[in-house]
Amino acid sequence: MKSSILRASAVSLACALVLSACGGGGGDLTLGGAVQNVTKDGLVLQNNGGDDTAVVTPYTSFQFTNRVSTDDQFNITVKSIPSNASECHVNNGKARANYYSIYQVSVACTIKQHALTVTVNNPTGVGITIVNGSDKKDVAADTKPVSVSMSPVNEDGPYGITVLTQPAGHTCTVTGGSTGNGSGTMGSDENTTVTVTCA
Amino acid sequence: MKFSLARPALALAILATLAACGGGGKATFPINVTVSNVQYPGLILSTNGMDYTVNPPATAGQDVTFAFPNPIEYGQTYDVIPKGQTVTNGTVTALGQQPAHQTCSSPTFPKSGTAGQLARIDIRYVCAVNTFPLTGTVKGLTGAGLTLANGSTYLPVPVSPATDSAGAVTGADVPFAMNSVPYGTTYGVTVLTQPKDQTCTVTGGANGTGGGTMDDAAEKAGGVTNLVVTCVKSS
Repeated sequence: MKSSILRASAVSLACALVLSACGGGGGDLTLGGAVQNVTKDGLVLQNNGGDDTAVVTPYTSFQFTNRVSTDDQFNITVKSIPSNASECHVNNGKARANYYSIYQVSVACTIKQHALTVTVNNPTGVGITIVNGSDKKDVAADTKPVSVSMSPVNEDGPYGITVLTQPAGHTCTVTGGSTGNGSGTMGSDENTTVTVTCA
Repeated sequence: MKFSLARPALALAILATLAACGGGGKATFPINVTVSNVQYPGLILSTNGMDYTVNPPATAGQDVTFAFPNPIEYGQTYDVIPKGQTVTNGTVTALGQQPAHQTCSSPTFPKSGTAGQLARIDIRYVCAVNTFPLTGTVKGLTGAGLTLANGSTYLPVPVSPATDSAGAVTGADVPFAMNSVPYGTTYGVTVLTQPKDQTCTVTGGANGTGGGTMDDAAEKAGGVTNLVVTCVKSS
């Protein structure tokens, strides 16, 4: 009596172990996808609440370590996001695995943006044009300091204010920003200010 | 009596239906075209001896849709190309009549075929603004850590000092290339991070200080290649 119970439970336990080994990563489908708008470490993805996978440089794709089998349910979720992202979401992350569904998964993050303000001290009363790369702003002549809002900049992204056209007979110099020469890397501070002074 | 009238009427109806199907002649197919992102005039699309001048839309950003003046018949082939485009061994060797400052292509949908293969002929062209190189030379660089930026649109570009075969820093000129700049947009190259123990300044470009606009002159010159970043020992 006793031995038969033991035998039965031992056998079923062994069976269960073998089966779970098969289901937990013994499949032949690689689960992964493309990643958009990630520029630094911090994005960690999970499948079915486990198998944590960090998205690393060059931050363009991810791949779970454990493979899945056809018809396995997968459910990819975001465990943590990079510090410069406001949110990350998974597209087509929940389905039964097959050769179609595993190629439809992607993850996209939204990077936080912050204001970049340029203070123009231009007592010369001559208009100038300032640029941050392709972002161009014309500044009208004014004897008082003028505050100019450039297009917002991604957190941890670069910026570099330059004077596109110097007013005739005057020289405008750029100071401020995290490097002091008008360029820098956007921090998490909302109030990054660059100063342009004309003389 | 009643039936004898109904029978010829049915026959007539069938004939009429057949004629609609093409019984009265071959079916014809209009060549419909959609062009996205046309910003400048100059594009002429051409097929089957017909030319169509595609002008920018009245409202910027909208697609331009049209059909070539004459439909083609079932079985005729078509190949919609910018007029004069030539392809040699699968490579475009002449772009044809493109818009100013733009290049249009048909990357995803087939632009050629035979009328009747598909129920409707729909050609798609997408135009992109041409981009031009923004390059230059770093002089006197001996320290590590120099990165250059062109505003916030693109990733910064790191530049390492030149080294000899033994790996020793030589301070020789180092060429660099920023991301290409689309026609009509401004650029302004700045030093994002200075190299160790050195201070670098940017000169060149249209305004002499690393900035300018990718305008007609720059387009004609094939881009801006005269940027100079001069690095000296920090005082």
